[in-house]
Amino acid sequence: MGWEEKQVCGYSEFVETAQRYHGRPIFALFCGDKDAEGRSWCPDCVTAEPVVRRELHNMPDESVFIYCLVGDRAYWKDPNNEFRKNLKLTGVPTLLKYGTPQKLVEEECFKAELVRMLFTED
Amino acid sequence: GKNEYDLLIIGGGSGGLACAKEAAKFGRKVAVLDYVEPSPQGTKWGLGGTCVNVGCIPKKLMHQAALLGSAIKDAQHYGWNIAQPVHHTWSVMAQAVQNYVKSLNWGHRVQLQDKKVKYFNMKGSFSDPHTIRGLTKAGKETIVTAENIVIATGGRPKYPVHIAGALEYGITSDDLFWLKESPGKTPLVYYPFILHLCEIIVYISLTGSSPDVSLECAGFLTGIGLETTVMMRSIPLRGFDQQMASLVTEHMESYGTKFLKRCFPTKVEKSESNRLQVTWKNTDLRTEVTDSFDTVMWAVGRAPDTETLNLETVGVKTNSETGKIIVDASEATSVPNIYAVGDITEGRPELTPTAIAAGKLLAQRLFGQSSELMDYDNVPTTVFTPLEYGCVGLSEEAAVQCYGSDNIEVYHAYYKPLEFTVAERDAAQCYMKMVCLRERDQRILGLHFIGPNAGEVIQGFALGIKCGATYPQLMKTIGIHPTCAEEITKLHITKGSGLDATVTGC
Repeated sequence: MGWEEKQVCGYSEFVETAQRYHGRPIFALFCGDKDAEGRSWCPDCVTAEPVVRRELHNMPDESVFIYCLVGDRAYWKDPNNEFRKNLKLTGVPTLLKYGTPQKLVEEECFKAELVRMLFTED
Repeated sequence: GKNEYDLLIIGGGSGGLACAKEAAKFGRKVAVLDYVEPSPQGTKWGLGGTCVNVGCIPKKLMHQAALLGSAIKDAQHYGWNIAQPVHHTWSVMAQAVQNYVKSLNWGHRVQLQDKKVKYFNMKGSFSDPHTIRGLTKAGKETIVTAENIVIATGGRPKYPVHIAGALEYGITSDDLFWLKESPGKTPLVYYPFILHLCEIIVYISLTGSSPDVSLECAGFLTGIGLETTVMMRSIPLRGFDQQMASLVTEHMESYGTKFLKRCFPTKVEKSESNRLQVTWKNTDLRTEVTDSFDTVMWAVGRAPDTETLNLETVGVKTNSETGKIIVDASEATSVPNIYAVGDITEGRPELTPTAIAAGKLLAQRLFGQSSELMDYDNVPTTVFTPLEYGCVGLSEEAAVQCYGSDNIEVYHAYYKPLEFTVAERDAAQCYMKMVCLRERDQRILGLHFIGPNAGEVIQGFALGIKCGATYPQLMKTIGIHPTCAEEITKLHITKGSGLDATVTGC
């Protein structure tokens, strides 16, 4: 069946989507919002996104890749935002395998081998 | 041809990973093979070795869970309004601990990848001194060659296979930490008589150098509210100072753990109610008893993991009694380019910090032009039983044997942690002693402490011992008040004097 991508904005949309695909391997990339020109306020996210996208084909069959825009810079900086509180995210970009402790944070997302390892590791 | 790797390490535990990461710092081509053979009960885990997965880490976290239970009981005395009794849910604790361990497995994977260390999830065996045959779970074979090879496969819990039903029905620490459901059913405390509703029996026999895991497990199992019995044939904590060992078990008894001393099991069977029936003999009374339990856990020592390595093929010598690999002071085995570190090595402490240090120093000697050898003297350690026991240096027995009782002085004290006073806790086993040389500078040979946070207390003193601290120097050290540790700086009553060693108020 291969894999599919879902693009979501904000925490509730993320949770709803993740729950909808419960049972399938779910990988999520969290990035800062993009402006009208499609540029994120988060420079590391700009660097990481193409690296992650190039490795997507390594995900196991049936995987769901959720691309989640977390919000604007001010929302992200708030230490009580829902991503920090509930998903325990500490930075953007974060790439994680949902439901496991496996994740890559910030510069770790720049490294293709680490991204590949996250997608293929048991 | 040329060897593929500069260094190949078999075993991704404390020693193996430390060695690998250090070697990689020198720009060397390094590979690690790690493979977890499932336990007889089918339990397996990820990268990181015993400490991370089925040792120190989950043990200390579960010990903490039990301590928090005691703290909750104490809290009432300090004014907190908490409805008693408070119940513990195993699955919540287990999931949290297991998740943390899994995050450590992942962390190690990321680190290895980041440091360009090649990782193989394969079981390794020797084909020749520079060639390892790796086998995946699926049976796929890979040949790896290396200039230097380090064996760091550690150990696994032993099973008392001569006891009928032991393998089939019993678990070990390998399984305990990964149980999803409680090893004992939670007692129904609103019924006046609860008999055998949640029982775990831990049988410990004292071979091997890490007999403390069993007591630690029994301790936290009791602490979280499970009816726990420890059966032992002879003495607890062999190899440790025996006076301190007795105090530790005495405390466990008063804390609620049942002890069946001088007993040994003869068989384990399944009963109709699906519980486990254990039959045992009491060596003193010469009686035979049978009773039912939910879980039987064996803690009869650890065996070195060498069986499938094919050591005979390459000539790596092992100790005929223990099966452990014989190494010299530079961790070299009997074969020139083959080394070993950690629990697998003969005569070394079965501890994570020593494995890590030995692994690092080995890498530095191999690739960093260092000649520094590992110093195994005065390694501090702590047993995380409900009342913890920390020590560094010689036991009293070892000091007497080494120097003669006329040449040593033992200072000791019974003390009461301040926190126990308001909480009305019994401090009968809160005790410390210091063994010193009598002559000349009165160097401190050993320090032993039973009390809360024993590990934290002893750590700093280990530096002092390393520097050759003396009794007069200790007496000049001012204590921090109010702490338990300060009592160490005030030790002045000797065993020899026969005076009452109970500390009085400040």
